[in-house]
Amino acid sequence: MLIELALRNLSRIKVRSILALIGIVIGVMAISSIGIFGESLKNVVLENFKDIANEIIVTPDYTHGYTSIDKRTLEKLERIPYADVIPIKSDSALVSYKDKKTYLTVYGINEKDVKMFELEKGSYKGCLVGSNVAEYLKLRIGSKIEIKGRKFRVGGILKQEARFDINPNFAVILPVKEFDDIFNKKNEYSMVIIKVKSLNDIERVKDYVKKVINRKESKVSVFEMKLIIDRINNIFNKMTLFFMAIAGVSLLVAGISILNIMLMSTMERIKEIGLMRAIGAYRETILKLFLLEALILGLIGSLIGGALSFLGGYAIDMLILKSAKYVFQPTSLLYVFLGISFGIVTALISALYPAWKASRLEPIQALRYE
Amino acid sequence: MIELINVYKIYKVGAYEVPALKGINLRIEKGEFVAIIGPSGSGKSTLLYLIGCLDKPTKGSVIIDGQNTSTLNEKQLTELRRDKIGFIFQQYYLIPTLTALENVELPMVFKGIPKVERIERAEELLEMVGLGSKKDRKPNELSGGEQQRVAIARALANNPSILLCDEPTGNLDTKSGRIVMDIIKRLNVEKEVTVVLVTHDLSLKVYADRVVNIRDGVIYAD
Repeated sequence: MLIELALRNLSRIKVRSILALIGIVIGVMAISSIGIFGESLKNVVLENFKDIANEIIVTPDYTHGYTSIDKRTLEKLERIPYADVIPIKSDSALVSYKDKKTYLTVYGINEKDVKMFELEKGSYKGCLVGSNVAEYLKLRIGSKIEIKGRKFRVGGILKQEARFDINPNFAVILPVKEFDDIFNKKNEYSMVIIKVKSLNDIERVKDYVKKVINRKESKVSVFEMKLIIDRINNIFNKMTLFFMAIAGVSLLVAGISILNIMLMSTMERIKEIGLMRAIGAYRETILKLFLLEALILGLIGSLIGGALSFLGGYAIDMLILKSAKYVFQPTSLLYVFLGISFGIVTALISALYPAWKASRLEPIQALRYE
Repeated sequence: MIELINVYKIYKVGAYEVPALKGINLRIEKGEFVAIIGPSGSGKSTLLYLIGCLDKPTKGSVIIDGQNTSTLNEKQLTELRRDKIGFIFQQYYLIPTLTALENVELPMVFKGIPKVERIERAEELLEMVGLGSKKDRKPNELSGGEQQRVAIARALANNPSILLCDEPTGNLDTKSGRIVMDIIKRLNVEKEVTVVLVTHDLSLKVYADRVVNIRDGVIYAD
């Protein structure tokens, strides 16, 4: 009956109720849409890193005087059963082609491991060059570049890629045998990438390195790529929350409009409130009635706003990211729920004061009010 | 039974104190029909609201069925009004969004009576005041006399032992007024409901067992 009464009270001031409802709809939509956009933006950025989440980078511990990883250490790492180990050699050298020359990083990587890079053109056979190198030196498949007096045929040009472990864009990658021929670093590795099969194994690898390799002295340092991803996640989540807070201002305005219509209702219905108190309604019953009215507004407005926020998220994503593939994903729902709950809570908080005020009315004064 | 012992009510208007009731002593027995008659500003409505626990006396005691109301808290007063007292006002005070039936249901909603029982009783009461066929109308679809009859049905919803009427015919034409008064009288006679009627209309005297005259906050004839 109270719900019925609340509904009828709202429909009695239809225009005002609808305006307040629109306020809530816009507020919730703004918050949730921006939440969805923030999540999409994060996903677009993280897309670049999705292959490296399970990587652990092992480098020589420079602070303890180690400049390379030796063969024995590598063998120990290779003994880890649940991980793929990619040893990497590197040095820098003057690379020249025709009349152009430049200093570049040269990597020596096993042929089976170079597939971790994506090819733009050509094949994985022979010498691979990064896209910036190809552009600068004007290289094509088949071009012969010269490194330390030896000529290498460019077999493939790598795709432009943002990576944290190795930056292929400004590098030349040689098969290990060729690398060893020109650099004379037979058993020295500058880096070892360990790819674990499950993210839960990262701790096991770190533990293994600590107990087996760094037992006597710290030979290598370990860096897990997951840390970077965690940090990006963290930063983007904070940014999303910040933008949602800005969008929240619109919800605040909606809240004030609810406060306004509820206060007006209290004054308009003062005699009714007095009457209800006279015939046996508790103060709490009046409080409940007003809160119920706000709850209904909040609930309806928030649900509509929540549903529309997919549309809003879609629009913003298409406008800024030119892609809507991250709009409909489980984490979007989280932001929609967040928006909806903020909408409902705002409506309730806004109604607290008017409801309290109505419930404090003395029946006799309310009945005699002119 | 209603008992008022040395009751004072003083309103504060800014810096002034306006006495509305000055030492009222009154005893109304169960089943009595008492008309309190006086000119406007005599304090008769104030007296009714004190009996109805809508207001508290500045001094003195109001005792309803042996219970001193000044010892009750807000919640207990609300329950006393809900369970023992029925109000009938000059302006009817029906809730405009609710139908006649729902208006009669309202006091029972506040008491927590289950819906089926509520509706059954409300229909019975509307039948009694002769509005059984108009139960689904909203107040603005009813005449003044009909609205007041709905208000009577509402006042009786929780089976009160006391019916307090504040100028019940004040807004009605003679014929409607008579119908309303006849219903009130019948309740008094058949169901032994104590009726306290406040009015300045001397023609209503005929319904009462006893007439109390009040002027300037004191009873001068009983």
